[in-house]
Amino acid sequence: MKKFLFFALVLLIVPMSLIAQQTTLNFLYYIDATQAGYDEDQAYWQKFKDANPDIDLQMEILFSQAYHQKLSAYIAAGQLPDVMYMWPTTRDSSALLHSQKLVKDLAPLLGKDFLSNFVAPALNVNAQSSKMLAELPQSFTYTTVMYSNKKLLSDLGIPLPKTYAALKAMVPKLRVKNVQTILLPDGDQWPAQSCLFSTVVGRMLGDAWIDKVNTGKVKFTDPAFVAALKFVQTMFNDGVINWSNIQQPYGDGPGLFAAGKAAFIIDGDWRQGAYLTDKASGKALIEPAAQATDFAFLNFPAIPGQINPGVVSAIAGVGLGISSAIPAGSDKEKAAVRLLKWYYGPEFSQMKLETGAFIPTRKGVTSEKLEPFTTMMPQYYSSIAKTCYVLDGVLDPSVFNVLNAGLQSIGLGAKTPAQVAAEMQKAMDAWLKSKM
Amino acid sequence: MARTAVYRRDEKRAYWAMVLPAFILYLFVMAFPIVISIILSLSNFNGGKMFGGEHWRITGFQQYGKLVADPQFWLALKNNIYIVLISVFGQLPLGFVFAYLIYRRIVKFGDFWQGVLYMPAIISVIVLGIMWNMIFAPSGLIADVMNKWYANAFSHKLDEILRAAGGLNVTDAFVHRVVDVSDPVALKIFHDPFMELKDIIVAYTPGQLEVFRSDMVNLLSHKWSPEFLSKADVAMIPIMFVTLWCWTGLYLILFLANMQKIDAAIIEAARIDGAGEGQVMAHIVLPGLSGVIVNAAILCISGSLNSFALIWAMTGGGPARVTEVLSIYMYTNAFHGAPHYPLANAIALSIVVFSFILIGVTKLVEKRYGGRE
Repeated sequence: MKKFLFFALVLLIVPMSLIAQQTTLNFLYYIDATQAGYDEDQAYWQKFKDANPDIDLQMEILFSQAYHQKLSAYIAAGQLPDVMYMWPTTRDSSALLHSQKLVKDLAPLLGKDFLSNFVAPALNVNAQSSKMLAELPQSFTYTTVMYSNKKLLSDLGIPLPKTYAALKAMVPKLRVKNVQTILLPDGDQWPAQSCLFSTVVGRMLGDAWIDKVNTGKVKFTDPAFVAALKFVQTMFNDGVINWSNIQQPYGDGPGLFAAGKAAFIIDGDWRQGAYLTDKASGKALIEPAAQATDFAFLNFPAIPGQINPGVVSAIAGVGLGISSAIPAGSDKEKAAVRLLKWYYGPEFSQMKLETGAFIPTRKGVTSEKLEPFTTMMPQYYSSIAKTCYVLDGVLDPSVFNVLNAGLQSIGLGAKTPAQVAAEMQKAMDAWLKSKM
Repeated sequence: MARTAVYRRDEKRAYWAMVLPAFILYLFVMAFPIVISIILSLSNFNGGKMFGGEHWRITGFQQYGKLVADPQFWLALKNNIYIVLISVFGQLPLGFVFAYLIYRRIVKFGDFWQGVLYMPAIISVIVLGIMWNMIFAPSGLIADVMNKWYANAFSHKLDEILRAAGGLNVTDAFVHRVVDVSDPVALKIFHDPFMELKDIIVAYTPGQLEVFRSDMVNLLSHKWSPEFLSKADVAMIPIMFVTLWCWTGLYLILFLANMQKIDAAIIEAARIDGAGEGQVMAHIVLPGLSGVIVNAAILCISGSLNSFALIWAMTGGGPARVTEVLSIYMYTNAFHGAPHYPLANAIALSIVVFSFILIGVTKLVEKRYGGRE
């Protein structure tokens, strides 16, 4: 009996001591659970857990606005997760992370040796709002890619457009076949600004103009900016973008495009992953063979009145940050660094490349298993001579939130470009005043 | 005398021993947050040290001033009033009528109808919101049904034109007739509808009649898209409909349970004396339930002013914030983008004030017109 009790106690104490030695790490992670590559992603996190039994990884997985809302709630409650997905600038929930330095500088934590594995632009701290390496950009994000259904167009005898006039001319020819011209699901409010309007502003005004508006030297009510908003209004009036896109949830886009409901979809480069083969089910929204032959990634056509032809909005990509609430040198901090090194390591980066999630900033990541869309994207990048700002990366949230809602209002015909510009300027004036 | 004093002291002790735990809980969970909220709404506190904010101080009614000056606040308030109106003047009367029909066995299978009408109240509002969002979506069920109907109607008109022309004989008169029956909104994509349509139509050969018909329906027929649901005021209609559908069953159950407390003999006597069902409902049942109706109205009002989950799941307050209600307006100010906690607290308190006003009005109405149970 005594022996039995002794062994039972040992069996109880050993796991408890292991648990006691475990470091709990709360990780708020961002991924679309319905997108191809989700299962592979989770399998790699399981590998991390198996390789690090001393870390009790508590993952919370969210996507899109739900993620931002939750992170904002955590920040407000003073319960920031230990590690979180974040943006390099003031996009949504990341605004406070940068402005209040709620995350650590990763440079000393990751070390020079580790960081030497990444391309130099990824380490440019000026690209981040907090001017430190708050997160290590996992990729460079081109937020405007015009995914094109070449086959659909060629079947209808329509050439790929090089100008806006050509785009407008194809509207009736596509509509007779019940096909939208451009799909831009803007139900979540941010895509129209991030994926289209940022490029329009870059082409018609340029980055220098945005820098001036942030210092009060020019105003949104100036004719040049109103003209950019008018161009978006024109796209809706011409039928190039159907107003129904304003009520379309962002997640609906890939399915509709793959089903041939639109000739083009404007989305960010990250979305190419939505069309790739899901390893678990073996199904793809667009089969690999069709990706190569039937589709293309185009730059947005020439805009009337543009001064910077061909520029496309781009920004340093997202990445993981570590909460500054974690004591320096603690076990938790070391565990968080190990998690980041795993995330940015060669194995995980290769998996992300293969599943089309992003093109990593880590050097030397290649694979022979890439689907055509993933190999086509770097070719698209190389066709872009110059990039421009993504507006939600350089404007204060109080200003770009007004813009996001304003673009929806313009599309619905509820407000004029001048009205939206006036509202934006009011928000900008309030922000400039608060900074004095 | 001494015994009485001891007795009273013991009674007091027992009273506080029983009340104190709940009272302390109420203070910390209910009263304290309300007091803090009031203080925050009168200050410039925006996160304090954690957010590197300036030293907080009382700024008076500054936030309330901002609130009143913001057109979005008035839109959100108006939307909330719509919800209150549909709840009080929709859910309650409907719930009462349905309960009466089941109570008086005017409809058969009362238990079945009870279950069917109550079911939406027990399903997660998030699920319901997403479901109705899909139904009302531009590519949803309603749009699909309506577009098929419009396509059919346009197709008939096109057939008449083709019959009159003896087939696909593309003349100027033919094109004019096609333009005349086309949806004006569909024609907006053309700079010169007649000329551009003519260019399109001449490309079809007589053997492509079916293709021509299908293509013209796609291009020129009226499309039912819920564009009108993107306009302020009108955009609230689906939400009001779903609110009515969701919660009427709850009040049905409430009224039905209370109707069963009414002495059946009184109703029998009234029926024997020749009273109709309408008279029974108006003069016996309704007065007998006046207290319950008032309480239900209070629940309605407080629930309506708090409504968040259903509207958030259905529209997210959009598009372009036209379906925002006060709770969503408060949420976006507190947690979206650049948080503004003092303003969010001011909004929260404005919700409380409106609730009190509406409940006060309800109580006044009851005093004046309420029956005796």
